[in-house]
Amino acid sequence: MAATNPSVFLLTVNGQIEGATFPEYDNLYCKYCFVYGHDWAPTSGLEEGITQITCKGSQSSHRLIWNFPLETTFKSTNPSGWPQLVVSVYGPDVFGNDVVRGYGATHIPFAPGQHTRTIPMFVPEPTWKLQKFTSWLLGRRPEYTDPKVVAQGEGREVTRVRSQGFVTVSFHIMTKDMKKLGYDTGPSSPTHAHSATSGWSTEEQPYKV
Amino acid sequence: MAELHIIGQIVGGSGFPQTSLFCKWGVHTGGAWRLLSGLKEGQTQVDIPQTGDMAYWSHPIDLHYATKGLQGWPKFHLQVWHQDSFGRCQLYGYGYCHVPSSPGHHRISCVTWRPLGSWQEQMAQIFVGGGPQLRSPDLVYSGADRYRLHTEAMGTVELELGIITRHFDKYGVES
Repeated sequence: MAATNPSVFLLTVNGQIEGATFPEYDNLYCKYCFVYGHDWAPTSGLEEGITQITCKGSQSSHRLIWNFPLETTFKSTNPSGWPQLVVSVYGPDVFGNDVVRGYGATHIPFAPGQHTRTIPMFVPEPTWKLQKFTSWLLGRRPEYTDPKVVAQGEGREVTRVRSQGFVTVSFHIMTKDMKKLGYDTGPSSPTHAHSATSGWSTEEQPYKV
Repeated sequence: MAELHIIGQIVGGSGFPQTSLFCKWGVHTGGAWRLLSGLKEGQTQVDIPQTGDMAYWSHPIDLHYATKGLQGWPKFHLQVWHQDSFGRCQLYGYGYCHVPSSPGHHRISCVTWRPLGSWQEQMAQIFVGGGPQLRSPDLVYSGADRYRLHTEAMGTVELELGIITRHFDKYGVES
């Protein structure tokens, strides 16, 4: 049944949003969605979701765990617009309002194999001190109207943000028919290939697959 | 025609005198290359990290090139700027790096430098800010006439780039 001349290739993403590191905040939940270009379409699995609310354990002081599954398959004719995972983290502030604690995005890896990504999280920052104080008091922080903006490059030059945490996501990637269409994505990753983007990635590694 | 996809992000910058940084970036190619989709230049957001020294931009890059030749392989040129609380911008560094030529995932640290003025200009820079800038930014990625410059070292910019090539083996190119 295999087509000798395929016109589309498939990308299968199995993974999990493992957890997050936010030194100053607790009781957080995470919303995720996939953003992709015009040539892409999801064929199975969910495109977006919300995790549970988690708090820091007694052992590890900074680490929050979600262990949230991701299982999606995409098809496309063109690697342009490669899917990105957009993650937004929310939590309660001192007065009990639900405020945003970070936005972040990363491209889905394209080499088959296992990958771990540490995504830095940032929030839009009010430009002057009075606005910071009133937004803290009223619980109405600056937010993006559509979190998918985080996955785009245009229009960012006017925003000021503060980075304040990291989310760790692990992926297992499989592709089908990319080689038949002539694409070379490089060597498959060796197992446990870590790509920590920060000097302070998680201190412990308790959840090896 | 052979095709090249550059998919990744400008992660962030560290090692600069202050945080609250943004980066203006662009990709320069030779005449044989044609951009099929994606933006080849842009400006990141301004990031003020809460802790630590590294400013994170996570600026996505998704470029699709078609090419007839290997000359003029794409290169990134960057300018790192600092924005203070009043909105004034000051140059913190120029840098460039070649896009990797082998398919796969790459982490690149791009080093940056800043032109150094006379000692009077350096003294003024401590108090007032500012400082000399290049008149034409092409000097960042070309070697001609560099010998006239006196520069000082600044921080590094981290990039994570994934490269996908297509039909390179058909043309006999090994990478």
